[in-house]
Amino acid sequence: MMKTGNKLQTPCDSVRQKDFKPMSPTLRQHRKGLSWKDLGLTALFSTIIAALLTYVFQDESFWVYLIISQGIGLSICTLCRYSLALFNPQTSWGIVAVVATASIFGGMLGGTVGAWLSGIEMPIFLSKKIYTLRVLIMSLLFGSVIAYYFFSRERLSEIRGLLQEERIQRLTSEKHAVQSQLKMLQAQIEPHFLFNTLSNILSLLDSDAARGKTMLRDLTRYLRASLAESRSQWSTLGSEMELVGAYLNIFKIRMDERLQVHIEMDEALKEIPFSPMLIQPLVENAVIHGLDATIEGGTIHIRAEQENGLLRITVADTGQGIASVPSPGLGLANIRERLQALYGGRGRLIITENQPRGVKAVIEVPYATAP
Amino acid sequence: MPPPLKAVLADDEKSLCVHLKNLLQQAWPELQICAEARNGVEALEMIEKHHPDIAFLDIKMPGMSGMEVARRAADMCRIVFITAYDQFAVQAFENEAVDYLLKPVEPERLARTIQRLKERFEKRDLDPAPIQAVLKSLQGRLAAAAPPPYLKWIKVPDRQSLRLIAVEEICCFQAQDKYTVVQTEREEFLIRKPIKELVDELDPQTFWQIHRSTIVNAAWIDKISTSLTGSYVLTLKRRPGTFTVSRGYRDRFKSM
Repeated sequence: MMKTGNKLQTPCDSVRQKDFKPMSPTLRQHRKGLSWKDLGLTALFSTIIAALLTYVFQDESFWVYLIISQGIGLSICTLCRYSLALFNPQTSWGIVAVVATASIFGGMLGGTVGAWLSGIEMPIFLSKKIYTLRVLIMSLLFGSVIAYYFFSRERLSEIRGLLQEERIQRLTSEKHAVQSQLKMLQAQIEPHFLFNTLSNILSLLDSDAARGKTMLRDLTRYLRASLAESRSQWSTLGSEMELVGAYLNIFKIRMDERLQVHIEMDEALKEIPFSPMLIQPLVENAVIHGLDATIEGGTIHIRAEQENGLLRITVADTGQGIASVPSPGLGLANIRERLQALYGGRGRLIITENQPRGVKAVIEVPYATAP
Repeated sequence: MPPPLKAVLADDEKSLCVHLKNLLQQAWPELQICAEARNGVEALEMIEKHHPDIAFLDIKMPGMSGMEVARRAADMCRIVFITAYDQFAVQAFENEAVDYLLKPVEPERLARTIQRLKERFEKRDLDPAPIQAVLKSLQGRLAAAAPPPYLKWIKVPDRQSLRLIAVEEICCFQAQDKYTVVQTEREEFLIRKPIKELVDELDPQTFWQIHRSTIVNAAWIDKISTSLTGSYVLTLKRRPGTFTVSRGYRDRFKSM
């Protein structure tokens, strides 16, 4: 038997509180204000654009272009930052719209201020088409750079978000696995079951000692198997069925003629690796919530079969049905989580109404001779 | 000499009933055991038929719980509860000094209970008030066992059978013509029940209507964002696509 008992705590410890924050619905928030990085990049791009324009047009000095370009860059960048924070667009097109608008206004404003600072007379600057064209080109260039910058940042944060989400999902499923392991441990030593069984054994020792001994043997088998198995990741289908058999033997004595049991399994399936304590909770539900709750009792039918690459375990009862039992009490979510953790999308639990009455639970997992 | 006291025993597990009967006969031979019941309904019938002085009632029985039987029979006879394990009930019994036995029943403990019962009958101290008090204090727990007020399972037709889908598995319901589409992480089903009816039957804490034709499971919401026009847009965990919250259902999100 594999010993993994000391593993119980580690994944839990590694899941810190802050890792779970993004699980709650979040609103994307654009940052307000300029960072030094923004200013530095703006200055760099403005300088490059200024150099480019000086080289292309060769009509004003580099300094004039530089001042105007810096003015345009700074105002577009500032406007973009604040309008993004203000309108808070959530889609890519929203960002484009905001950046485009900010570029037009920022370009006009920054261009004018820049021209004024570089000593070009205002009336001339405003009336000459040539200047307007230059400002327009600068704004366009700068706008596209900014738009690209925000776009890629958005993409980056989306990718980061996805990675983070994946990490959270992994940690959560690890945490769930540990929790369900613990729950499993608690579930087996259900005190009501234990004390009732013990008092049955005690009473049988007086009236029918042989039966009492058999029951004691079944209880021991059940406890030993469940305690050992809950600590190992893999068991075999055969030993799982044996565990279920011991459990049902106990109930057969307790419920007397109110319980009929049918177990069908092909010998060849006995050695198939199977996760421990997946079938047992279904059997427990069928017996306790389905059959023992009714006066007349009924039949539980358990079948394991292999078909088209699937291993299918069916637990059907003719009890009162679970529609009236609150589902969280049945431990089905726990089974589902463990199937998800073990088999991903290829393991599933299907609950249907049994005909003519009761519940039918089916576990389907890929059929494999080794885990 | 007064006539012998009569008793009815009720336990759904036969060997336990037999065991208790044996112990009682040894420890209290004068006690006349007139009937053994295997479930709550039968226990009540036996009490009504035999008018016993004492009823030994297992708490967990099919048909009707021992508590329920006691509620109906407390005026007719003295009640002794039997339980394998029920911390709450035992606490209540202790508080109100109501007689009870723990399984497995031990002879010494039974002897003490018998002694107390004899004293009560001698003193004619047969006030049912303590039993009523116990039942009242456990009322909350008994009610908790009642069927939940909201849907826990959705029945969906799937091939020849009726599948039962636990509501926690469902991420959303969407109206489609006369049907409702039930979506889980990997599957979707069609049911005939309209959204309008579902809204009232689902727990409003978990299931939020966000549109005339859409209900989402809040536990499945991954992200809430606002669009350019100011409406709320939901993304669900592990599911593609977005859901827009329509104008009439916005209030819930405004406070977030």
